[in-house]
Amino acid sequence: MPDPLQATLRIAGSGLEAQSVRLRVISENIANAQSTGDTPGAEPYTRQTISFDSVLDRSLGVPLVRVKTIGRDDAPFKVEHDPGNPAADATGFVKTPNVDMLTELADMREANRAYEANLQVAKQSAELLGQTVSLLKDA
Amino acid sequence: MSQPYVLQLAAQRTQWLSSRDELIAANIANANTPDFQATDLRPFSAVLDSAQVSMVSTNPAHMTPSGDGFAEARVVESDGPETTLSGNSVDVENEMMKLGEVNRDYTMATNIKRVIHQMIMSALK
Repeated sequence: MPDPLQATLRIAGSGLEAQSVRLRVISENIANAQSTGDTPGAEPYTRQTISFDSVLDRSLGVPLVRVKTIGRDDAPFKVEHDPGNPAADATGFVKTPNVDMLTELADMREANRAYEANLQVAKQSAELLGQTVSLLKDA
Repeated sequence: MSQPYVLQLAAQRTQWLSSRDELIAANIANANTPDFQATDLRPFSAVLDSAQVSMVSTNPAHMTPSGDGFAEARVVESDGPETTLSGNSVDVENEMMKLGEVNRDYTMATNIKRVIHQMIMSALK
């Protein structure tokens, strides 16, 4: 059984890692919000989704978090009339990605907050460990 | 010389606080995990009242239970404010408040330890 404060650092670390993967997925979605196909009628970029899972760490006895799946959003593509586009089909319609900027931005803010919360936990446990160690200083 | 009672109590208190810190960290890390139930420790006073009585080993083959005494004091926060659609019951704001609480109490306990040490040292010197 390791020290709970050391375990805290590990847990917060797993949280930071999961949230940073989430941020990566969100940034991929935002970057590809306009990525259409390059042949007539081709499928555009599909929005990616992420879901987390808690796994019990046997050595610590606490639930760490990890990325379960990075999936694809089944929502239908948006369709625009743009005959000049290389991805336009015979009738001049282009399929554009099913990425909604507003959703992505809201999601990004939430991931940011969650990352900050985990960082705060890591800072705090390091501080508490430091306090215990400094008991030796003036002994 | 046996340990002064206050030191013993402060040690148990820090142990309880760091175990609680661990659970808070797990709750925050899992704030976006579907079907995750937030957990917390039973209050310190309750844990102290139900102090673990250690059994005497009358035979060398007797095994002593290991692990810290607080692991089984874990409770699921059933009265959590709200459970999201994904079945997650973590309230991050509440967890951050508990984190601040733990921080203050831990500082208090370590400062008490320091003062007791100083008192012992001043008696010795």
